Amino acid sequence: MTETNIIEISGVSKRFGNFVAVDNLTLDLRQGEFFSLLGPSGCGKTTALRMIAGFEEPNEGSISIDGQNMEGIPANKRPTNMVFQSYAIFPHLDVGNNVAYGLRNRGISKDEIDTRVSEALEMVELGGLQRRGADELSGGQRQRVSLARALVMRPKVLLLDEPLSALDKKLREQMQFEMRHLQRSLGITFVMVTHDQYEAMTMSDRIGVMFNGKLMQVDSPETLYAKPCNREVASFIGEMNFLPAKIKSENKGTLSVTTACFAELTIERNPNVSTHGGSILVGIRPEQLEISKVEPDGYDATVQGEISDIAFYGENIHYHVRVPGIAKPIAASVPNYFHTVDFRRGEKVWLGVQNTSVIDLGKENN
Amino acid sequence: MKRFSGLQTYAVLYLGFLYLPVLLLPLFSFNDGTIVAFPIKGWTLEWYRQLGDQDMLIRALRNSLMVGGISALVATAMGLFAARAYVRYNFRGKGFSEGIVMLPLVVPGIIVASSMLILFISMGLKPSLSAVILGHIFLALPFSVSIMKSAFDNFDVSLEEAAFDLGSSVFETFRRVTLPIVAPGIISSLLVSFTVSFDEFVLAFFLSGNEPTLPVYIWSQIRFPAKLPNTLALGSLLLLASVMLLVIAEFFRRRSSKSLV
Repeated sequence: MTETNIIEISGVSKRFGNFVAVDNLTLDLRQGEFFSLLGPSGCGKTTALRMIAGFEEPNEGSISIDGQNMEGIPANKRPTNMVFQSYAIFPHLDVGNNVAYGLRNRGISKDEIDTRVSEALEMVELGGLQRRGADELSGGQRQRVSLARALVMRPKVLLLDEPLSALDKKLREQMQFEMRHLQRSLGITFVMVTHDQYEAMTMSDRIGVMFNGKLMQVDSPETLYAKPCNREVASFIGEMNFLPAKIKSENKGTLSVTTACFAELTIERNPNVSTHGGSILVGIRPEQLEISKVEPDGYDATVQGEISDIAFYGENIHYHVRVPGIAKPIAASVPNYFHTVDFRRGEKVWLGVQNTSVIDLGKENN
Repeated sequence: MKRFSGLQTYAVLYLGFLYLPVLLLPLFSFNDGTIVAFPIKGWTLEWYRQLGDQDMLIRALRNSLMVGGISALVATAMGLFAARAYVRYNFRGKGFSEGIVMLPLVVPGIIVASSMLILFISMGLKPSLSAVILGHIFLALPFSVSIMKSAFDNFDVSLEEAAFDLGSSVFETFRRVTLPIVAPGIISSLLVSFTVSFDEFVLAFFLSGNEPTLPVYIWSQIRFPAKLPNTLALGSLLLLASVMLLVIAEFFRRRSSKSLV
């Protein structure tokens, strides 16, 4: 991957009446990457995508694509193409004519259109289905036609608005891999909007997390999971136990903190966090906690508690452990191999944690 | 089988009362006699044959076809754009304007007719077929707007956005995507608007001057008892044509609201 920027968004805001949909968004997208905008519904991610596509004009700020300022350039003149959430397959056209639709706007010869349409259909594994009617397609096929129709235009950037949300779970997982492969082999920049963290994590090179119109953090899936910048991001990506903590001493790269349940922890300072203070929030992923009947050896901090709830997920089991001093039970997940762990509700157990598993989330409510 | 309840009996009687008189029209149009009364004297197609010889009738029919055709085209074109705006956009005065468009459905025809006559004359437009066309567009508009609204209701906005995104201009998007998708609605609206105009009497009576439309011509003929069987034959043909047009219109209207999810 080269480091040239294909899209540069700087200081972009979009208001609908008094509602601020996108608030001062600055973001650079790299040539050839798979980028996801992730956030809950209404966070402004779709508005941001539609501004890149040219369906909405920003109130402030500028967007440039491939070095060209897009101000005043309508969607039909931009080097982007979009896959819509509803797929927007033209109901009066068959598959071939749906895919050929955009090419016909470009004065390309009929032979070349035919060649490119069949190539595009091969690419999405719908080879030879040119004459299939729009109403004879399954959900997955509609999605593929929609992809082919956009990719046949050879856009500089492909925009995808919740492309998998209309598919059932099995098909969705299959399409995640297919779209990822497609993107790698074509080398086109994909920008996807989704509210599904797993979708974003499995497909993307980088993810931007948005809340209430603001971009909170942009990072690789691994970094987002390991070093989220605040409580909101941490709770949106995966599961997390949150513990209020008091800072006892600060060193260059580490913080010494105490929590109500784990007495002494020396944790790494999180570079993504903007502000610290006397009291901070720390997070621990459920799978990072050891759970056992006797106090576990070799852990940096331990606490005893009582199991209040058990959730069985198949591949792993979540135990909710009530510990003194913390209102919400702490979740600990255990992989379900060989059924070696089998606790009951009300049983007394020990939780153990390593310093490296505790994530600094900065000053609470920032 | 379920027994007939009181309400079902009532419904059957009601429908009979409503539609049996209409069926008398074709029945007597085949009657071999000039007096419209039972018993039927014999069966003949003579009255239908005579229709073709009457120049004034042919002329009135031509007038009606022209008025109906033009009114349908204009009302449907206006309805198409108005309905798209009503369904797609929110703007100030939307509810008010929709109400105004629907008004002709409830305002008594005689009031519309007399006020239009006064208005047109004061504007210098003499009673003529042009005046009738203007009046009929006004009457047909609520029908075309509501038919086109139902065509746009199930029309996914992103279809137009997709076409635009794929490089079509606004006009091309309308021609290649919007128009074909709402085509069944357009056909339905054309047929219904045409029927509204073709059957309309009051406005045409006030505004047509010396170029009668078919209903006005029929009215003028009813005064002559000898011509009555001819009028019955003509009426029966019109009835048949109207029913057929409306059935076809309904077929297209249903297709337009079903196929576009």
